[in-house]
Amino acid sequence: MKIDNSLPLEYSTEENRLKILGFWIFLGAEIALFATLFATYFTLVNRTGNGPIGADIFEVTPVLIETILLLTSSFTIGLGINAMRHGSKNAMMVFFIITLALGAGFLGTEIFEFKHYVHIGAGLQVSAFTSILLTLLGTHGAHVTLGLFWGLFIVLQVKKRGLTPETTNKAFIYSLYWHFLDVVWIFIFSFVYLKGMM
Amino acid sequence: MNMKQLFPRGHVMGFIFSMVLTAVALGVVVYDLSFKTGMIVLLVTAFMQAGVQLVMFMHAGESEDKKAIYTNVYYALFIALVTIFGTLLTMIWGYQ
Amino acid sequence: MDYFDRFAVPHSSPMIVGSQIAIAVTVLAILVGVTYFKKWGYLWREWFTTVDHKRIGIMYILAALLMLFRGGADAILMRAQTAIPDNGLLDGQHYNEIFTTHGVVMILFMAMPFIIGLMNIVTPLQIGARDVAFPRLNAVSFWLFFWGAMLFNISFVVGGSPDAGWTAYFPLASVEFSESVGMNYYAIAIQIAGIGTLMTGINFIVTILKMRAPGMTLMKMPMFTWSILITNLIIVFAFPVLTVALALMTMDRLFGTNFFTMANGGSDMLWANLFWIWGHPEVYIVILPAFGIYSEIISTFARRNLYGYKSMVVSMVAISVLSFVVWAHHFFTMGHGAMVNGIFSITTMAIAVPTGIKIFNWLFTLWKGKIEFTVPMLYSLAFIPIFTIGGVTGVMLAMASADYQYHNTMFLVAHFHYVLIPGTVFAVLAGFTYWWPKIFNFQLSERIGKWAFWFIVVGFNVTFFPMFITGLDGQARRMYTYSEATGYGPLNLLSFVGALGLLIGFAFLVYNIYWSTRYAPRNVTSDPWNARSLEWATHSPVPEYNFAIVPEVDSSQAFWDSKNNGPALFKGKYKEIHMPNNSGVPFVLGIIFFVWGFAMVFSMWIFAIISTLGIFACMAHRSFEKDHGHHISVEEIEETEKKLRGANA
Ligand code: HEM
Ligand SMILES: [Cu+2]
Repeated sequence: MKIDNSLPLEYSTEENRLKILGFWIFLGAEIALFATLFATYFTLVNRTGNGPIGADIFEVTPVLIETILLLTSSFTIGLGINAMRHGSKNAMMVFFIITLALGAGFLGTEIFEFKHYVHIGAGLQVSAFTSILLTLLGTHGAHVTLGLFWGLFIVLQVKKRGLTPETTNKAFIYSLYWHFLDVVWIFIFSFVYLKGMM
Repeated sequence: MNMKQLFPRGHVMGFIFSMVLTAVALGVVVYDLSFKTGMIVLLVTAFMQAGVQLVMFMHAGESEDKKAIYTNVYYALFIALVTIFGTLLTMIWGYQ
Repeated sequence: MDYFDRFAVPHSSPMIVGSQIAIAVTVLAILVGVTYFKKWGYLWREWFTTVDHKRIGIMYILAALLMLFRGGADAILMRAQTAIPDNGLLDGQHYNEIFTTHGVVMILFMAMPFIIGLMNIVTPLQIGARDVAFPRLNAVSFWLFFWGAMLFNISFVVGGSPDAGWTAYFPLASVEFSESVGMNYYAIAIQIAGIGTLMTGINFIVTILKMRAPGMTLMKMPMFTWSILITNLIIVFAFPVLTVALALMTMDRLFGTNFFTMANGGSDMLWANLFWIWGHPEVYIVILPAFGIYSEIISTFARRNLYGYKSMVVSMVAISVLSFVVWAHHFFTMGHGAMVNGIFSITTMAIAVPTGIKIFNWLFTLWKGKIEFTVPMLYSLAFIPIFTIGGVTGVMLAMASADYQYHNTMFLVAHFHYVLIPGTVFAVLAGFTYWWPKIFNFQLSERIGKWAFWFIVVGFNVTFFPMFITGLDGQARRMYTYSEATGYGPLNLLSFVGALGLLIGFAFLVYNIYWSTRYAPRNVTSDPWNARSLEWATHSPVPEYNFAIVPEVDSSQAFWDSKNNGPALFKGKYKEIHMPNNSGVPFVLGIIFFVWGFAMVFSMWIFAIISTLGIFACMAHRSFEKDHGHHISVEEIEETEKKLRGANA
């Protein structure tokens, strides 16, 4: 394995560089995926059948909590990668664990929100609007859930194996994923919730 | 590591910026804006947020593959806009 | 026993029972045969666990050929049913099932894997790389495709085939109108294969962008590699749309959501919209690699540099963008206003421009060339005029107001077969013949190949040209029968005759493989066609590591130059080579996906949950695994090279 010491560890081998570029391209595909869900959402948002409309069911408080949790977690994972580049394993792990905790908080709030929707008669099968609303939110939520497990695995690996070209590469790629989920959330926050409540 | 290394300026600024943008976006439900103004505010804040993440946190431009990465992101953005506005065109606006 | 009733085919017939027995017997025979000849170990070590792009490519092509015959059987049945008026060979339901599976199998499980197979074998060789960027992921891609295809195919004998067309329009595809599990198979099997394809897309973009031989700038890449880069770009951005559309369909059918329903706000046309946002780019995904193959073959056998390299590249880039902005031409008759139809008419016509540019470039390459009429070249030469008919009729369809007349008639069917068959099918057959000696170190018989070629070309035109005429006369597509009074009888009979011609052509193709494997002369050189690009610079068959020394390149036909007193390709000494390890996980993951898909199709939730956990377990395993690959020592390289040089001096 040729290691280039002039670069941060996560970029230091050819294999690592391939993986980072590959992941960026994967994120391009993810953009297309969420764009399709948004396109479907905008098409169906006013097709509410006998079900509720957005303004009836959206509430600012839980959404704001989710937004702040996720934005903060995006900040802390950035700090984690920064610490990793300074070679500080402990600081990195602390930031990653904080990130995961914030992510879990986000997910908990979202599950609570879903339960609430079902409770007030806005379940998955009620109308085209509720179907796509919960599917769009659910797809993002599923990504976060997957991310929590993935992040946990990375923390475990860093703990056991230290900061190596492999573990730093995984952590960096994971941070790209996490920031991306944040970006998706911003669009959900703006064009699903705020637009719906406007 | 000291505090300055742990919390580099760029990241802190990015974070504050994203909080401010969230607050501004929230304005559309607090104040009584027209739909058009509201949408403009949301579009501007959302894309600025995305830019903050991309440039300040994701380091999109830091590696030798900068060109490929940006081409990829722009292409994806193009596809996203075409998918969304094209669908609106064929499914909703096209009938009016 | 009630539990097992769900697996019965709801609308059975002697033909289906016969197939059930035949399939059961074949599977059993294969299992017994492999066990008897003690080949499990060999299969597992050399094929099921391989991460070598060449072997993966071979498996893709094998599967594609298998699917070609499955889809071909459907096709012959359709033509036989419509050969005479009021025919009773098939009833309406069976006809629906057969045209549905024909379309899906041919596009997704024949054309796509054939192309991906060729791209696997050729691309790394053409850019002077030792493998693809992510060899393990490549194996995952293949096994997801393979098990997805298998899942789709068993629908015929377990639970019932899909029957709403390859386009699966709602409300036809809803549970209300398609009660059997057929459309569940459609949604889930394509989903599994599609995920594999998406990963292929990422893999090859990175491979081409990052692993080219030193000196090979983007504008010095062979044209086939260019076409593959652009194709994969389209794959990466089009397939997620299909992923979403299929997921929404699955939810509508299994979980009672209201995306495409007729009640509670659902929109059936939204399905058509999403399907074609993927669907139109998809037709370019299967045509662009064909353009790449023809470019290689035409310049090789015209013995000339490809004319207009730059304009070829520019037109492909243009196509990659335009292919995403034309999709509404598939539903001009949906009822939106002149504005929308106008926009999409214009973009559609615009896409004919870069396509036309490419046609002229091939013609200019041929101009004054010393043309050699080999089998691959014959396909390429036949492609140009026939494809042009397809393109011109496409432009006719692109005029929205005229399309009200053509839409969903046999004219449309003729159009897309006139682009897909000379485009994609001829190209993969040409590429298959052209690259065959690189893989197996002997050539397919030119004599038998020419018989196959003529039967296929003539058979194709006899089958599909009459459809232009009956289509203009108003014969609708997908109708299982018609009355004598319509007057469609004679031309449909002619189509059937043509289809038999195609069948004979494909039989020659199979016979050619058999004959040449037994009798063709061995030990041809590693460059039997006197070709131009790097894949011909290494030995045939290609060693595991592709190139003992990484070539250095300074033009788009470096190998040709080096043969003609240009700079040497291989400089320096052997060095230790790092290669990836084999792994059984991709294969196992494929099987788990198959089980998951099957469980989802039949709503067997416990199995679905268990297999979902299995999928996550594979991913977790990958995360924790340490795999640094292995090294091939200098002595080993020397030995292999000596042996291979003896093989083709
Ligand atoms: C010159 C470029 C082309 C133009 C202008 C064109 C135009 C069209 C139009 C307008 C339709 C829809 C007609 C209708 O439904 O009434 C259509 C259908 C179709 N085209 Fe093309 N086309 C072109 C090239 C191609 C190529 C290169 C392929 C594939 C390799 C292709 C494959 C298809 C298929 C599969 C369908 C219809 C499938 C279905 O409805 O089942 N076309 N084309
Ligand atoms: Cu099209």
